[in-house]
Amino acid sequence: MSYFSIAWQWLTSAQQWHGGDGIPVRLAQHLQFTGIALGIAVIIALPAGLAMGHLRRGGFAVVTLANFGRALPTLGLLVLIFVLTPGSPASWLVPLAFLAIPPILVNTYEGVLGVDADLTDAARGMGMTEWQILRKVEIPVAMPLILLGLRISAIQVVATATIAAYIGLGGLGRYIIDGLARDEYNVVAGGAAVIVLLALAIQGLFTLLRWLIVPVGLRRQAQTS
Amino acid sequence: MSWAWANRALLAQYTGSHLYLALMPILFGIIVAVPVGVLCVRFRWTWPPILSLTSIFYAMPSLALYLVLIDYTGLTDWTVIIPLTLFSLSVLIPNVVDGLRSVPQPVRQAATAMGFGTLRQIVQVELPLAVPIIIAGLRVATVSSISLVSVGQLIGIGGLGYFFTDGVQRDFPTEIYAALILIVILAFLADGLLVLMRRWLTPWERARGTRRALSATLRGSRAEGAT
Amino acid sequence: MITFESVTKHYPGGTVAVDALDLEIPDGQTMVLVGPSGCGKTTTLRMINRLIEPSEGRILLDGRDISQTEASELRRGIGYVIQQTGLFPHRTIVDNIATVPLLKGWPKAKARDRARELMDLVGLDPAMARRYPYQLSGGQQQRVGVARALAADPPVLLMDEPFSAVDPIVRATLQDELIRLQAELHKTVVLVTHDVEEAIKVGDQVAVFYPHGKIAQIDTPQHLLGAPADDYVENFLGFDRGIRRLAFFPAAGLDLQTGIVLSDGSTVEQGRRAAKQAGESWVLATEAGRLPRGWAALADLESRDGHETLAQVPLAPYGHTFRVGQDSLRAALDATVLSRTGLAVGVDDQGRVVGVTSYERLRAAIQAAEEAADGQGARPS
Repeated sequence: MSYFSIAWQWLTSAQQWHGGDGIPVRLAQHLQFTGIALGIAVIIALPAGLAMGHLRRGGFAVVTLANFGRALPTLGLLVLIFVLTPGSPASWLVPLAFLAIPPILVNTYEGVLGVDADLTDAARGMGMTEWQILRKVEIPVAMPLILLGLRISAIQVVATATIAAYIGLGGLGRYIIDGLARDEYNVVAGGAAVIVLLALAIQGLFTLLRWLIVPVGLRRQAQTS
Repeated sequence: MSWAWANRALLAQYTGSHLYLALMPILFGIIVAVPVGVLCVRFRWTWPPILSLTSIFYAMPSLALYLVLIDYTGLTDWTVIIPLTLFSLSVLIPNVVDGLRSVPQPVRQAATAMGFGTLRQIVQVELPLAVPIIIAGLRVATVSSISLVSVGQLIGIGGLGYFFTDGVQRDFPTEIYAALILIVILAFLADGLLVLMRRWLTPWERARGTRRALSATLRGSRAEGAT
Repeated sequence: MITFESVTKHYPGGTVAVDALDLEIPDGQTMVLVGPSGCGKTTTLRMINRLIEPSEGRILLDGRDISQTEASELRRGIGYVIQQTGLFPHRTIVDNIATVPLLKGWPKAKARDRARELMDLVGLDPAMARRYPYQLSGGQQQRVGVARALAADPPVLLMDEPFSAVDPIVRATLQDELIRLQAELHKTVVLVTHDVEEAIKVGDQVAVFYPHGKIAQIDTPQHLLGAPADDYVENFLGFDRGIRRLAFFPAAGLDLQTGIVLSDGSTVEQGRRAAKQAGESWVLATEAGRLPRGWAALADLESRDGHETLAQVPLAPYGHTFRVGQDSLRAALDATVLSRTGLAVGVDDQGRVVGVTSYERLRAAIQAAEEAADGQGARPS
């Protein structure tokens, strides 16, 4: 039987939708973890990116952090924290949030940095304070890239949270880890399908968000993203 | 550290398989990405659909893809290599396109006016000038790939990721540290090599230096981190 | 010969860039297309090497319809120079110049040798050969652009605002270089510019465009300045075209006054007599080698002892000179206006005094030149 039929069968069987191990529950858990980690990352990375971009500083640090974040294996980090702090309820949160920071930081930084210097010059010349420039000129113009960073980060967290099931976290990853452990391929297949759908949904959500928030003139510019 | 030394043969073996699993996708990726990228620039209407496709690949958690593929490839190296190739494509194709588009218009116009045929112009003029941005993309893809391979350990094919699961099972953080550090070192080495390669390939960029290199790197990191 | 037969270019949306253009560009001359922004001059230029294809009409090169030749092949036989140079950043200067020969299949060594020849031709230091474009100044880059266009020795050279991106001093130098090159090579050059001064300076023929794709007048610069076809052309040429036209008349046409040119060893008495005889109020004193020294005022001479020499008399500076053999009536007029005596000194190539001109003599020369003018575009000096 092909993957798709296996997955489809599992997804559509009624028991998947009830009980503590049902899809709705796992999905809710997953979204919860994702939300918290993403929230923390946003609180840290967004202001930092805005500040660094506006002041045009720290580019080297940003790039290095991005490289480092990319190079760091997520499974390794999760496993390490788990082994070092067994029994700690929030051991999953640190790696999840940490890995979610670079995309937001880099893209926000680059977005603000990329705002045409002539624009900010003119704004300054008109008498806008630095705050106003950030709010009224830089953020709007940088929005496509800021949204891109958020999207990438969200997807990153969803994926990392999936893997975190290996160290005991709930959520959709449980299907995969438990399924693999018990050699139940249909659970694994179904779980993978749900995760893929979730990722697509997030992708779609951000596309919608972008369409709503970013004015047409800017959208054309950031075509390659 | 002494553990690492004592087990160096084992580490070396897994390092070898790790690099194989990480770099094959990059190789396949660049071989496919360059022609596809050229196509997208030459025939503009192909770009939006291909971009959407690569966005989707990019968003897919790699673990999920590994699992989907088990049914078709069994539990072999290909189960990991294929999804990682798709991921690297999702980084490299937009980079090739971006790089080609970054070639200044006067240069392209002059080349056409001198009598370059389309293909020749792309190969001799545009691609060489697109190299900095393409390499920036290669760096992102390579570093990510080296990192992502370890996730495959959850289905048993993860190169150095072996030490992660082993370390949990044996409650032995040392080997986790070792593998972690080793992976990061490999990633930075690969990155460094690519930077050297870029410098070697673009002697005309020398005086421009840091500013442009930085922006090329940032542009390359458009497609950022995934798992 | 390049011929445009009723060529039109229109774009979707209704813009007509070029409107039923008929144009003949003769071989071996510089034809300048000049006009305001959007008048179609650049479009016209680009249709010659098929970067733009006409909507209607056809273009002939030496009698053959260019749309019948494969585009790349056509372009390898036409040089193209643009404002932003479009030099390949990733190739050295010598390889940039060698591009078309290499495209045509020349062996590398031969192409590079040819490139070095051209570097010499356009006045580039051979030490620049292995450098990259970014290491050169704007003026040097543009020279490379011209060298590159000439590398395969094409009969036709197209130039699209080639000197607009450099500062005025460099621009003037490059224009002079172009004139010099043309005198040597006699290519068919088609040059587009929005600067009417440039058109007049470098062009053998100038085509003035109306704002919307039609030509107002095609003529030699001299005729253009002398007889603009309508108010539009007259306005386009600018307000002092009469004086600018004088640049086309050689100063050699002047009948110079020599009677008041005396060496500084002459006596005051001799000076007085010379001045009165000529009916002028000044006398020019020269020093050894017949070099100009200064003006002696008649009023001054009258109050002095006749036996004194001119060298002992206070002399006014002789002012700006003009070269009789090389300069134009415009230069002579300018020298005369600048001179505090109303008289200008004409010298030869070594700076020795040939004679003196006045407003009267200038007027006479101008009249004679206008009458003699018959359409052979003289080079402005």
